[in-house]
Amino acid sequence: MVTAGPLPPKPAVTRPTRVRDTRGRRIFRVVNTIVLLGVVAVTLYPFVNVVAQSFSDEQAIREGRVNLVPRGFNLDTYEIIAADPVFWNSYLNTVVYTVTATLISMVLTTTYAYVLSKRHLKGRNLLVGVAVFTMFFNGGLIPNYVLVSELGMKNTIWAVVLPNAISVFNLLVMKAFFESLPKELEEAASIDGLNTYGVLLRIVLPLSRAVIATMVLFYAVANWNSWFSAFLYFDRADLFPVTVYLRNMISGATTAASVGSSAGDEAQVSSNIKSVTMVLTVLPIIGVYPFVQRYFLSGVMLGAVKQ
Amino acid sequence: MRTKWKRLLVVLAVSGLAVACTGESESGGPVDLSGKRVGAMTDYSAGTRFTATEPVEFSLLYSDHPNYAIKDDWLLWKEITARTNVTLKPTVVPMSDYEQKRSLVVGAGDAPLIIAKTYPNQEDAYVASGTILPVSDHLDLMPHLKSKIEQWKLQPELNTLRQDDGKFYLLPGVHEEVWQDYTLAFRTDELTRLGLTTPKTWDEVRTVLRAIKAAHPDTYPLSDRFEGKSILATASQAFGTTAGWNYDNAQWDEETQKFEYTGASDEYRQLVEFLRGLVAEGLMDPESFTQKDEPAISKFATGRSYAISSNAQNITRDYRPALANIPGATVAKIPVPAGPAGDVLATTRLENGLMISAKALESENFVALMQFVDWLWYSDEGAEFAKWGVEGTTYTKDSTGKRVLDPQITFNGINPGAPQHLQEDFGFQGGVFAYGGSTELLRSMFTEEELAFQESISGKEVVALPPPHPFSDEEREQATLWETPLKDFTQQSTLQFVLGDREMSSWDAYTAELDAKGAGQYVELLNGAHQRYRQKNG
Repeated sequence: MVTAGPLPPKPAVTRPTRVRDTRGRRIFRVVNTIVLLGVVAVTLYPFVNVVAQSFSDEQAIREGRVNLVPRGFNLDTYEIIAADPVFWNSYLNTVVYTVTATLISMVLTTTYAYVLSKRHLKGRNLLVGVAVFTMFFNGGLIPNYVLVSELGMKNTIWAVVLPNAISVFNLLVMKAFFESLPKELEEAASIDGLNTYGVLLRIVLPLSRAVIATMVLFYAVANWNSWFSAFLYFDRADLFPVTVYLRNMISGATTAASVGSSAGDEAQVSSNIKSVTMVLTVLPIIGVYPFVQRYFLSGVMLGAVKQ
Repeated sequence: MRTKWKRLLVVLAVSGLAVACTGESESGGPVDLSGKRVGAMTDYSAGTRFTATEPVEFSLLYSDHPNYAIKDDWLLWKEITARTNVTLKPTVVPMSDYEQKRSLVVGAGDAPLIIAKTYPNQEDAYVASGTILPVSDHLDLMPHLKSKIEQWKLQPELNTLRQDDGKFYLLPGVHEEVWQDYTLAFRTDELTRLGLTTPKTWDEVRTVLRAIKAAHPDTYPLSDRFEGKSILATASQAFGTTAGWNYDNAQWDEETQKFEYTGASDEYRQLVEFLRGLVAEGLMDPESFTQKDEPAISKFATGRSYAISSNAQNITRDYRPALANIPGATVAKIPVPAGPAGDVLATTRLENGLMISAKALESENFVALMQFVDWLWYSDEGAEFAKWGVEGTTYTKDSTGKRVLDPQITFNGINPGAPQHLQEDFGFQGGVFAYGGSTELLRSMFTEEELAFQESISGKEVVALPPPHPFSDEEREQATLWETPLKDFTQQSTLQFVLGDREMSSWDAYTAELDAKGAGQYVELLNGAHQRYRQKNG
């Protein structure tokens, strides 16, 4: 599964140095490259292995012959999964939940962070405290469940998109970013006749594309991967996102097996079906990364303010 | 926004607790069922099919199996409604995390009326909360279950389910006879080639493994799957103890009439020494206890090992297809080997079953619910229906009573290649509805091979169950604090001893460590609870 590490937007351009590297630095570069290549290999291998398995013959997987290259290449498993309406229904659910949840999260986080970034705001510390409080304390599983049920959100999309819509970590990152924007730009905008909303929408947000892109990525990946709230609040299989479908398939095996019980009911899904499902599930997220990357522009505001 | 949420949450949590507390059922005296008989039959008895007198709806906590994902258009649902006038409303929970959701909905007071797929002792955790119905109070509403208890003499098994109040809260799945599916599977072609006979005891298993090792010195003849838990469980029975999947912290000592700590007993030590010997001689792959199933299967499939733990399904689904590339390779289960404790089986006839929500008692359909559960899960007709489906549609029955699956339907090796699947397309033979039952029904879907295996173990002596030792609420709380660390430590040390990481000479030090972790006090608590049960119930 894909997880995003923190990717803070780069503030400034690093210029290539013309100075000859010292010996120590060259050694560092070599060692660094080797270590990082090692990390790449370790992280990439399981994924390439799963991709290889997804195109392989089941017999070859059973015999443990599939490593990096598919053996007994075929697309049969993809055809089986592509013909499975349950899978596509879950997939569609995931897309809908992810888009809606990301949208809601972005609107709430951006507006909250922008308000918090204003130092003259009365009660600002209280508002920050309220948010930070939830990083350390929460109601717990059963109270949350009771709350969502009592609000009538069970078995609706709201149960997965509303709770935890604001990630406090993301909120603080955005707040810090807004705080670092030059005050003069906003002052200039208001002198030119923009009200608060105009300043936010027409000045601040266009200047914040880098942080917004980062936040969209964080939220989208988290929402795409999340399964727990859907598992808690949905009682019908046709509402499940693809992650719940996948999880049931992968970790259902042999957990309840015990001698003397209905062994015939043991869950065993063949390896190639599992791997195809995994590949199809992570594909969109992998596909999104390169496109979001181009928003990680820096230097947009270079020279905007003369001091 | 967050503050509001949190405030609301606190209020709701408190009121939720209040609701949970008021759900407590009053004890003592026969329960007044007037006004709770809507839809119920007045002349319902053993041998009668339950049909509600008016349409009713029951909610059900349903464990969704990845191999046969739930479908609304299953014949199962339609036929249940057609026969009983009952519509089931399943709350679908992925099987992977079923237990977590069950705890959640029961804890939140939001449980469906029927809570399926609950194994014996899993209900213990819910008893104190009062959210689960003490079903033993209502057995009179369940004539089929009562007749099964009588016919199959299930009372001793049911007694093991009793709580401190003398009631039981689980409607278990019940088997007519003890049966066992897991044992070792061997490459039978290799046994024939080397002139070896099928081993009947664990000593013979060792002899056979030695002979295979002699012929293939560079292999581990036994490389196991299930993280070794299956072989531990199977072998522990023959050694007179429990281990692996079956592990229980306490075991009953017939001589002293007391419980003792399993992991410190002589029997357990014998089992550990036996397996340690296998590993030390290079007969058993040390990875057996840590590797995933896939590498174990792949070793077996490529001739790098010759024995592996197995159930009937593993043979047909995993090993036979995987061995296709080795010409002449054959594989079969061996009869469960005997050991120092004799030719015995020590499993229970109880199976996963159902809990009923305490809220059911408030429903006007309560009696109908109990009758429905009794018919579907405990009557012969209900069991046959859940397993085979509808006669004339999914199967036919000849004059001798032998059932034959429709040629268009496949299941577990029957009619391979048929377009429809008994579980996936019809919903029958599903883990929530079809389990346990009479030996005749259980065996009706077995292959010839599996029938022969079951015959081979039918002559085994069945070990008596340990006597009941129900805990009071405080005792259970205390016991839970000890149980998990003790179990973890025992399993971890077992592995160290078996793999040779720890010398057998430090066994006494190990038992001392167990005592330091509370093993002695735990056993004392258990014996106290057992004594109390004996005094109460004679």
